[in-house]
This record gives sequence, structure tokens and C-alpha cells, in this order.
Amino acid sequence: MRLKGRHWVAVWLAAFLAVTWLVYARQTAAIRYARQLAEIRARRANLEGHRTALERRIRAADSRAVLVPRAERRLGLHQPADTEIVLLPVPELGAR
Amino acid sequence: MAKLAVRLQFVEIGVLVALALLVGRAGQVQLLEGRHLAEEARAQRTERVVLAARRGALLDRYGTALALTQETYHVGIAPNELRDPAKDGALIARRLDVSSPAWQQALRKRYAYFAGPFSALEVRPLRSVRGVHLEPVVNRFYPAPELARATIGRVGDDGRGASGLEKTLDSLLAGRSGAAVVLKDHAGREYESPARVIAGPVPGHDVVLTLDAELQEIAQRALDDALRRMDADGGDVVMLDPVTGEVLAIASRQRDGTARPSAFTDTFEPGSVAKIFAAAALLSHGRVRPTERVSGEGGTYRLPGRTVTDDDPQPSFTLADAMRLSSNIAIVKFASRLTPAEQYEGLRDFGFGAPTGIEFPAEAPGRLRPPAEWTRPSAASLAMGYELSVTPIQVAVAYAALANDGVLLQPTLIKEIRSPVGALVYRHRPEPVRRAVSPELAVRLRDLLRGVVERGTGAEAALTNFPVAAKTGTVRRVVNGRYAPGQYTASFAALFPADTPQLVLVVKIDAPHKGSYFAARTAAPVTRSMLEQALAARHVALDRARLSTPAPAPEGTAARLVDDEGGGGGGGVVPYVVPWPYHPDSAGVPHRRAVPDVTGLGLRDAVRALHRRGFRVALKGWGTAEHTWPGAGDSAAVGATVTLFASPGAPAVRTLTRRRPK
Repeated sequence: MRLKGRHWVAVWLAAFLAVTWLVYARQTAAIRYARQLAEIRARRANLEGHRTALERRIRAADSRAVLVPRAERRLGLHQPADTEIVLLPVPELGAR
Repeated sequence: MAKLAVRLQFVEIGVLVALALLVGRAGQVQLLEGRHLAEEARAQRTERVVLAARRGALLDRYGTALALTQETYHVGIAPNELRDPAKDGALIARRLDVSSPAWQQALRKRYAYFAGPFSALEVRPLRSVRGVHLEPVVNRFYPAPELARATIGRVGDDGRGASGLEKTLDSLLAGRSGAAVVLKDHAGREYESPARVIAGPVPGHDVVLTLDAELQEIAQRALDDALRRMDADGGDVVMLDPVTGEVLAIASRQRDGTARPSAFTDTFEPGSVAKIFAAAALLSHGRVRPTERVSGEGGTYRLPGRTVTDDDPQPSFTLADAMRLSSNIAIVKFASRLTPAEQYEGLRDFGFGAPTGIEFPAEAPGRLRPPAEWTRPSAASLAMGYELSVTPIQVAVAYAALANDGVLLQPTLIKEIRSPVGALVYRHRPEPVRRAVSPELAVRLRDLLRGVVERGTGAEAALTNFPVAAKTGTVRRVVNGRYAPGQYTASFAALFPADTPQLVLVVKIDAPHKGSYFAARTAAPVTRSMLEQALAARHVALDRARLSTPAPAPEGTAARLVDDEGGGGGGGVVPYVVPWPYHPDSAGVPHRRAVPDVTGLGLRDAVRALHRRGFRVALKGWGTAEHTWPGAGDSAAVGATVTLFASPGAPAVRTLTRRRPK
């Protein structure tokens, strides 16, 4: 069966619509993914910011400037003199 | 009829001319100006944006972060886009910490811009506010801002290293920015469409420094306390591993609280700290015997152009006495047996008068004049450590040569360089510069320094259970090229422990105003305090196994490893049963071992593998082992802490085969 003129018009129209829909769908998906990516990036940035703030607090709390005075004041500890430092001796090689 | 034909001809000609003009113009637009116009059109609807590269991290020798990169934001506000200017405005002003008048002023603009930078947490509530435009910008973040600040340096507003190691290592840390194209409308606003990436950003390398964060904190705190207690103008502390040349800690502080990198850049006359190098020249040329004595001259010795005095006059001195009591007269008399060339070369061999080559910008070379420029008292002055200017790092490097059996090493601040994916790009190996003295002579010189602490001017630095070798130095302070009246610089250089040194410490205190100005009373106690703190610290770069006295192992106490499924008891929760006294695998020689490759192992297997090698383990993260600090294959002291980085996302690629102990 030979296609008539109006059939060709219909075929071309369908092809055009299909291509247009494909382009539209791709663009829509791309924008959706771009939004998701931006959201994920924002979440990651938030979490990193949170981690950074926590790291700073931990490092500050973990520092000698904070720990030593607290240990001295609250627990009555003091910086040991070398006579109070005991290093456990390790056995000689081959002794085992 | 003829008239109509003529009219038609005119119309035809007119149409043809119009068509010709149209074709001509089209040709002009398309062919002649086409490229230029296409560029203009592209520029109108697209914009090229720079994708900033992540700047590499700076880490201490155990992987503790010293400098990181984080995303921060500039904030733009379009007041006419705000849905509820009053409510949104209050939120924005609160989050950005903008005063009410400043906010009212901003509202009157078409577009208000707040450079900040603001952290992700600060701007988080603003993300959903219409009219707020966030512009991400990467920024440098220092988790402990005051730790080694002068050494690490800072990044400038342009994102490039402006000072310190940030500047020296800028080409490594910076990475390479990428580029992308985004679409925009006629008003210049970006469309919400994916950017077309032209070139992705390449992150910078991560650099592992030789610094030990804990020792660094000990050094900084000790220096701060000393300056406050002594009301001093400033000071420096340098800690160095003499076997590798690695700088473990370096602290500098001035009276006003600033931290200029004076340990690298400011010179001083070392005074008696340099007497040991005159002794080295005398002994290496055989110009003095151990029992030989010179007269103490009653405490005053007149030379042409200079009078030399002793604070602690004695009838006579051996070379050991001259070191122990820091006698100027004795060392001047002994050093007079050296030729100027021998004396000069002796100092030059220990690196004085030349930069050490450490990776720090603008390191001062110090000053050591060649014999041709000497005056009559120069030889005597140099023997006492005058007419010589040095930096604290130079003194530390020279003493490290004594500790390292006479080999002068180039100091370094860089331990490793790793690519963004963690691959090892560079690892420091000790770099010998020259042999300054023989190993036997280095041992004799260390013995002389040991006498200083045990029976001499350095007694305040003595530890009861650990031998220390050191030398004191107190010199008049030079300010603007002249000796400042009543001002002294106290310095102290120590080797710890004295027999097989693991640590070189140099302490310098500028112009102590309260109490004694002698190094024996100022810098020596600071050294002792730092050593005690280092010994008591959780994990610092000291090999404690070598510091302790080896003890014979009791019989039949071999470590029993229970590593089977049921052997641990408690449903396999306890992997080891360790008898007391504990005998780790690491108990014997060699004291350094290679860190095993645990990448891809489960956390428990990875920790077990590291424990088997005798390392302590510090965990970072959870899940599957990714990498370790020090890295796989690197050698580390047995008993040292290996930081194990794990990630829940990393797939386990291998498991350890469980073995029953024989």
C-alpha cells in the first residue's frame, strides 16, 4: 500500500511530536535531577558545616588548655613529674 | 497598455532590487559578521562560571586535620523578590547578624550583597527564602586556629597561600579550577538548567606535615606560660626528630600575643649554646686532651680588644669543665689553638651561616663571617657564640647532628604528599647534608653535654629517670643593631634522652624581665616541663619502648592469641586473651615496623592486623577500612598510634583468613 499525501503529513507530524516530546522529557528530567543535585549539595554543605562546627568544638574541648585546668580543679590531678611516670619495660628479643 | 508594461517593469525592478538588498544584507550578517554576532548572542544567553577546586588539607603526622577546605557563602538579597519583607527580613538580619539600620539601608537597594563569608549552618534557614541568592565559595578552615599558626600560615582573599606553608605549598594545595557554561535570561539570571561542564575542577593534594599536634600544643602552652611568668618580650621553641630531620613542633610568640614565625626568620647570637661546636673543632683536630687544664685567670681574662669574664670563676678548667660550667675564659683559651679557617669551617660544617633548606618562605640564613672579615677579637667572640647570628631552627639542626652520630640532616616540615584520591606522591626520607663530625666524636660531645645537665649549668633541666644532654646560653640582646642595656636572650638546647636521642629541643626566651635572666633559671626549667609533659602525653612522637629499660621476659608467658570463632568467649565479642605481663608482638627488635595494608578489610580485621604489628589504633569513621596514617608500607615505631580511617560506603573487598595459633 502506497502512502498518500495526507498520510505522509501525519507521519511527519507524529515524528515531530515524538521528537519534541523527547526533548521536553529530557529537559524536564535534567531540571529535576539538577534540583535534586542542588538539594543534595545543600544537604552535604549543611552536614559538612555541622561537622566543621563540631570538630572545632571537639578540638577546643580536647585541648590541654581546657583539659589540664579542669583535671587539676575537679579531679585534683596534676602534671606528673618524671619520677611519677612509669614506662613498662618490654622484654628483650628472643626472651619469649 | 504600454504604460502598464512600464509600471510592471518598475515594480519588477523594485522587487528585484529589494530582494538583492535582502540577499546582500543576509550575506553580510551570515557570512561577514556571522561569527561575531554568534559570539555576541552566545555571550548574552550563556555565562561561563568557574568551578572552584577543593584546596588540599594540611594534616599533622598522625592525620589530625590542621587546615581544611569548607564551602561557605556570600549572600545576595533582592528586596523586591521577598514574599514577606518584614518576616523574611527579620530572619535574614538575624542569621547574617546585620544591625537594624544596616538592614533598612539594604532594603532600599535593588540588590543587597553580604560578602560574609557565612557558613552552611548560618545560611541553612535562608535557603528556602525567596529573594535570597546564595553564592557558594570555598574557604579555608582551621579546626584549631592557634595551633602552629605562624608555621601553617594563612590563605589570602584571592584563595592563594599568603604566608607560611600555605604559601610554600600553594601550587600543590591549590588544585586546578574547572569551568562550566550556564544559560541565563535577558536580565542575566541563570536558568534552572544543568550547567555544561567544560572542565571539571581538580582538587589539590593533601599534605601530611611532620608536626605532632600534641607536642605542638605542649610547646605553645609551655612557651606562653614562660613568657607570662617571666614577663619576657618573646620566645621560640623548636622540637626536632634528630634521626629523620622532621620538625615535630615549632612555636613562636611575641609579647603582644602575635605569633610571628621568628624561629625561622629572626636571628640571635647563640652565646654559650655554640661553645659545643668550638669543642667539636678542638676535638676533631686533636688540639685538646681530656685531662688538659687551662687557668681560670681569676675570672677575668684580658685580650687585645676584648675582656672576657666568667660568672663562676674557677682556678682551672678541663674542656668538660668549660662546657659544664660554661666558662668563657676556658673556651676562649682552648679555641685559640685553632686556626681561623678551622674555627670557621667547624661552625660552617654544622650549618651556620646558611639557610637550613626547610620548606618555609623567607628563612633567614643567619650570619657567619669568613675569616677574611674577622677583627682581632673575632676568634674569641666566636668561641663564646658571639659575632655569629643564628635562627632557633639552625641551632636545633646543628644539635640534631650531634644526636645523629655527626650527620647533619636537612630539616623538613613535610612528611608525605598524597593525591586527592589518597595515592602517595611523596614521602620524606632523611636527607643528609654532610658529616659534621665522626660518630665517635659525636658520642664524646654528647657526653660533654650530659655533664652540663648532671653537674653543671643545665641542672634545672635534669630528669630523675631519664638522662638529658643540653647546653645553656645567655647573651646580651641585640636591638636595632646594638646591645640593649639590661636585656638578655636566654637559650637552651637539649637532647633527649642523652644516650640515643629521640628529640632535640631548643628554647629561646627574649628579654625576661621578672626573676633571673640566666638560661639555667629560665629556659632550662621550661625544657624540663615540656619533656615531662611529652612523657606523660597520650601519644607523641617518642618511642617509649626505647625509653624504658628492657627487662628479661619471665618464662612461659608467651602471648596467647585466641582468634577462633568461639575462643574469644562472649559470643566472639572479645578477640584476644592477653596474659599479664603483656608481651606484644612488637616487644623485640626491630622497633620500627611496616604498617600493614588494611584497605578493604572489615573494621575488626583491620584493627586486629594493626594490633598484631604492635601498633595502637585510633579509629576515624566506621565501616570498612579505607586507609591509615601512617600509610600502608610506611614504617612506624612499635607502640605508636596508627590512625585507621573507615567509611561505611567503602565495599569490603577482602577479609583476613582466620588462623588458629600454633
